[in-house]
Order: sequence, then C-alpha cells, then structure tokens
Amino acid sequence: MELILNPITSLIIGTVFLILLSWILWPRKGLISLWSKRSKNTKQKLQEDALKFIFDCEYKHKSCGLHTISGNMNISTNKAAKVLGQLQSIGLIVMKEDQIRLTDAGRSDALKIIRIHRIWERYLADETAIDNLEWHQGADSQEHLMSLKEVDVLAATMGNPVFDPHGDPIPTTNGELPTYQGQSLSSLKEGDIARITHIEDEPSTIYAQLVALDLHPGMEVYIMDVTDENIQFAANGKECILNILFASNITVEKLSKIEPTQKKYQTLSSLNVGDKAQVIGISPKCRGQERIRLMDLGIVPGTEISAVLKSAFGDPTAYKIMGATIAIRKKQADNIYIKSMLNKNEQTASMRELSGVS
Amino acid sequence: MYDHQEIENDEIISLTNTLRWELGIDFHDKIIESIYADATKIAKQSIRVEDAKNSTIFDQKVDSIITSKWFGFPIMFLLLAIVFWITVAGANIPSSWLAALLLDTVHPFLKNIAAQIGMPWWLDGVLIDGAYMAFAWVVSVMLPPMAIFFPLFTLLEDLGYLPRVAFNMDSLFRKAGAHGKQALTMSMGFGCNAAGVVATRVIDSPRERLIAIITNNFSLCNGRWPTQILIATIFIGSLVPPHYAGLVSAAAVVSIAVLGIVFSLLVSWGLSKSILRGEASTFSLELPPYRPPRILQTLYTSLIDRTMLVLWRAIVFAIPAGIVIWLVANIYIGELSLAEYFIDWSNPFALYFGLNGVILLAYIIAIPANEIVIPTILMLTVINSGLTGIGEGAGVMFELDSVADTKRILTAGGWTLLTAVNLMLFSLLHNPCSTTLYTIYKETKSMKWTTISALLPLTLGFIVCFFVTQLWLLFSS
Repeated sequence: MELILNPITSLIIGTVFLILLSWILWPRKGLISLWSKRSKNTKQKLQEDALKFIFDCEYKHKSCGLHTISGNMNISTNKAAKVLGQLQSIGLIVMKEDQIRLTDAGRSDALKIIRIHRIWERYLADETAIDNLEWHQGADSQEHLMSLKEVDVLAATMGNPVFDPHGDPIPTTNGELPTYQGQSLSSLKEGDIARITHIEDEPSTIYAQLVALDLHPGMEVYIMDVTDENIQFAANGKECILNILFASNITVEKLSKIEPTQKKYQTLSSLNVGDKAQVIGISPKCRGQERIRLMDLGIVPGTEISAVLKSAFGDPTAYKIMGATIAIRKKQADNIYIKSMLNKNEQTASMRELSGVS
Repeated sequence: MYDHQEIENDEIISLTNTLRWELGIDFHDKIIESIYADATKIAKQSIRVEDAKNSTIFDQKVDSIITSKWFGFPIMFLLLAIVFWITVAGANIPSSWLAALLLDTVHPFLKNIAAQIGMPWWLDGVLIDGAYMAFAWVVSVMLPPMAIFFPLFTLLEDLGYLPRVAFNMDSLFRKAGAHGKQALTMSMGFGCNAAGVVATRVIDSPRERLIAIITNNFSLCNGRWPTQILIATIFIGSLVPPHYAGLVSAAAVVSIAVLGIVFSLLVSWGLSKSILRGEASTFSLELPPYRPPRILQTLYTSLIDRTMLVLWRAIVFAIPAGIVIWLVANIYIGELSLAEYFIDWSNPFALYFGLNGVILLAYIIAIPANEIVIPTILMLTVINSGLTGIGEGAGVMFELDSVADTKRILTAGGWTLLTAVNLMLFSLLHNPCSTTLYTIYKETKSMKWTTISALLPLTLGFIVCFFVTQLWLLFSS
C-alpha cells in the first residue's frame, strides 16, 4: 500500500509533534507545569502574605510600615495600601499613624498561615527529595491552598514536628509560639562561639548563597574577625567570610564555651579500605528518611565503623557497621563525620614504639 | 470534680506544648543515639565477639575477586549467560510436551466431546477455541521457562551473589538516578516483567523503586524472546548466506535486548529528573555473608511465590482474552468480521509506523501475555489475506512448526523487512502485558503510576517506529 504523505512531510510532522509534546510535558518549564504553577495574585493571597509579614515584624520587634510591606511583597505602594485597607476593613489590623498592628483575629489568622507554611516546608524537607532552595517557594503556594485540618493530619503523620527545616518554631494548633530569642550572626564579636538556630529563607538569592556555604541550623560557629563590612567565622572547620547584610539573615544562639569544639571533621568517604574509625555524627544536611535509615543501620555517635570493600567502579563502598556489611554511596558518606582510629597493626606498632621508648 | 480535671488536662497539654520548643531541633536524633548507646553498653557487657572467623576471611577473599575491576563484570556476564542458556535450552523440551498434551491432544478431545453432546458451534468456539486455547497456550509457553529461570535466579540470590552484582552495578545506575538493585530487578524482568515488578520490593527507597517498576518493561521478557527469534530468523537471517544466518539473527535479537537496557537507563534518568524528582530517595545495600543455598526451600519459594503467582495472574487474564480473540474473528457485520473492520480501518494509520492493522489488533487483544501475540498475528493474517488451507479456522490461534511456512503467511500478509524490524522494536517498546500492569497496580496501589507504566513505553514505541520507518523510506527511495 502506498502512503499518502511522502517521508519528508511525515518526518516534519513527526518532529513538530515531538517538539510540541516536549513543550507541553517538559519538567518545570513545560506548559503543564507552568499552568499548575501559575500563581494568581489573588486578593486572598495578597492579604495573607501581608498578614504573615506584619506578624513577622511584630514577632521580631521590627517596625513595620507601608514601604517595608510593599518592598517585601514586591508590589507597588498603592497596591500595598489597598491591601492594608482591605485588612483594616475586615478587622484584622489596626493602623495608627504610621504604625500597623495586628488585631487578635489578625494574629490568629497569621499564625494559621505560618503553621501551614512551616509544616509544609518540613514535609518537603523530610518526606521528599525536593531541593532546599525550593522548600520556601513550594510552601508559599501551598499555604493558600491547604486547610488547617489537612495540615494537622499531615503533621500527625510526621510526628507533630515543632521546628521547620530552617530552625523556625512551628505554631501549635492553638496558635502558640515561643517568645523570640536569638540574635543575628552579625551582632557577634570576635572570639564568640555560637550555634546557628535559624537561617532566613527570604530573599531567596541570599538564602541560596548561605546554602552554598553549607550552613545549616544546629551548626557551631566560631567568630574569627569582624569588620564594618564583613564577618569571618569558622563553621564545620571551614572558614567563611560573609557580608554583614548576609550574616544578618542567620540567627544564632550564643554558647558560653571558651574553646571551639570543632576542628575540621573527617568524613566517612575519606576512610581508606581496611581502616577503622568512630562515628561522630551525621551532618544536618542529611534529613528525613535518609537520616533515619542511616541511624537505623547504627550510624550514631560512638559506633565503630570500618571500610571493607570498594565496588568495581569505586563507588559505593561497603562498610562494616555493627557486624553487618553495608554499602553506601560516596555522596552519603560525605555527610557522615568520623574520628579516625588506628587500625590494629598500627596500634600494636605504636605500642611497641611506646614500650621501646620507656 | 470532672470539670476540674479537664482544666488540669488542658493545662498539662499547653504546658507540654510550650516545653516542646525547648527540646531543640535534634531531639529525635538524641533519642535514637541514647537508645543505641544503651544497647551498645549492654551488648558489650554480655556478648563476646571472636575475632576474624574463618568464614569472614573466606568472604573477603571471594568478595575481592567478585568486586574487582577486572573480574567483576566478566564473572557477572558469564553467570547470567549460563542462567539464560539453561533456561532457553531446558525449557524447550517440557514446552513441547505441554504443547503436545494441551494443544494437540486435549484440544481435539474437547472438540470431540462438544460435537458429541451437540454443543452449539458458537459456544464451542468461545469456550474451547477461545478460552481454553488461550489458557493452554499461556501454560505451555510460559510455565517451563519460568519454572527453570526463577529457581536458578533465587539460588544465586540465596548464595549471596546477587547483592554483589547490585554493588558493582550501582555506579552505572546511580548515574541514571536509579538504585543498584535495579540491575537485579531488570535481570529478573528478562524472565518475566511481572516477577521483575514484584522483585522491586528489595529496593527500599520510594523513588528508585518506582523507577525500577516503570522501566522493568524494557527488559525483553520470556514471552517476547520467541517472537524476536522467529522474526529475526525469517527476515534478518535470510539477508545473509545461510551459514551466517544463525549468527546474524542472534545478533539482531541480542541488540534488541541491549537496546532495551539502554532505554531502561535513559528512561530511568528522565524519570528521576522529571516526574519522580520530588520522591524521597535513600540508598543502602546490605552485603550478606555467603552461605550455602537451601535448595529445597529455594525451589519451593521460587515456584510458589514467583512462578505460580505469575502464571495464575496470566491465566486469569488469558481466558477472557481468548474469548475476545475468538469473538472479534467470528462476529460479522455484513461481509466482514470485527477483526477485518479494525484491520482495514487502522491499516492506513499503522503503515506510517511501519506496522500494519493486524499487528496493532494483535497487540490489543493479546494483551494478557506476549506469548500469544505471534499465534494471534498468524491467525489474523490468515483471515485478513484470505489464505485457505492454513490454520485451524477463524479465531483459533496457531503456530507452525516450519519457519518457511510462517514466512509464506507473513509475506502474503504484506510483511517486508521494514515491517519485521518495526515489529521487533514494537515488541520491545509497547505497553506491558495485563499481568504486569495488574502487578504494577498491586505493588504501587496507584492508578497514576500504572497508567504511566503503560503509556510511556507505548508512546516511545510509536515514536521510535515512526522515525525508523520514515527515515528508512526516505533513504531507500
């Protein structure tokens, strides 16, 4: 049978069809994902975002005016004024001169949105493989879609978490939140030792920089030098220099220690086959199921671990942990901190040396 | 009194809520750590470990060979080749026994009884030529290879060898966004995709498990090897002088299987970057100590858990499909049967993909098992091209012992080398059989993933066939 279309025409049609198909289905940039991502600047969304921001200002004892709101929400001053007018008319805020304050109803609404936002961030961090740069954005669109009830169910399945992955406390169902403590990293002096409690995820460009430096809540920092523009500190044995503006996005809790406990940690991936080590801990970067799995296998502080075998291509490597041989990948082993132990031969050798000396 | 207590309860709850903030971020980690610390302390007091037992030294020696750069992969290919060879060589004999019994003896016998008790022709057709025939076909072609392949595979698993394969292969699969154990489920898929999908339970990470399930269909299963071998022998082997024919057609089949592996890795990569990007992912792989296999237990579990489960599901789907196959060939509207209507209607469309209406219809109605695709194609070709004296009547699937006769039928149906190449590609790249689809649904409990598992390879198949055909036509004209 003869085909009506000649091969060239068919090929053109086929190629066009393929291009169309990939244009529709392409992940993140395709028509379908754009359609589902298309966030409308609806009235409700704007109002909720404004409430959230005003609450944040109150919580952190910062002043909050029309200009800071319009700047933060990236809308014109006129529009911000309109949104604030709407919020005032439904009794969620009161405006006195230049001061904007939340009413009780407004505060409770804001806490509701914050609870949804932070629980969703926690969900993305622990139960999915979504990258940490996308947690905030994901939660930003989800907070307007979910009801408090749905979020309660979600929170229950995760064991009712109390902190979001950036270290922020999650408001309880009743809208309780602990009083704001902590100071910004930029306020520390030379020689101070502190622990990171929170890394602000907005604006996202600054957050991306902080993530790129491998900073996480729970990390200890040691301040080495402070100038008018920069702050130099050691975190996880690595020296970092941050602009003061960037540093103010990191909240820390000052520790009353004098000696920094941390030197540069050795990672499990650097352990040679045949060598033994002791686990110190797992990096805060490793979260959720992955972290639980590693801990379940016995990778907890104090466990002895030895590298026994490399696979044919060199990755993964098999380790002896608590009598079992477990293979894990290099990327995971990078997140496990160890303290090297002398293996048996070296140990006896060094003992012999010692006895020889004495 | 009661009220008082309730107020107290509320106070306690709100107090605990505020106290929870003070526990800190890593509260759960601390609990796990303290449990382990206690357990280690107890274990240290009460357990004495004898140092470096002989078996661990033996294990380490074996491991250092099996996972070495130079021996690891040759050993793996050799072992897998042996398993496949035993399966293919060993399955032929029981398969021909079963076929002789179920197709050549029981079928005429049943027809005889039906004729004696005066069963109406249509009932006899639906039940015996349709339902029974499909059942008999699936059992005789499917059972022997599975009954040989699965125990052998389980034996390797029991021995402790398969985890080492996953260990060696992980690097490759990691680059494709998948788990090293997918090497195992993929090999299992060469036996049967449904069993391969069940086998993905060994992958404990949600994302990698879904990837392994969706891509398992790219492993050329037992039911498709005979199709590939037959078509390659007829159309590709005949291109070269006879004494090279066997080698060339074998090479053609192997390259289709390798193409399947390539697709499997590419699609895994694509899935991990697109729709499965957000699924949680972890990796850990235990390398158990080597141990002597428990042969009887292995036989029992592989026969019951794998072979029988899959066979049962296949039969459940094959019987209704057998009825449908008979009906489409025997229900007439005017001059033409339903089958001929569909073939005529879909032919103009199918030809752009280098296929034909018969092939499309066969792949639709023979969905329960790939084993019955060729018999269905032969039966439909005979009906459609009006050949007489071949086969056993409308709606009765058949296969011929002689390759030359099969070739005559297919050439009469308008088959060319291009059709053959496209059939081989389409046989690799089409929706999984209904048994596998049902198993995917059972394993994922999700219509979404089942649908994607069906449509993804099918779409790929049409795209590949289309471009192969059009480029072929372009360069041959």
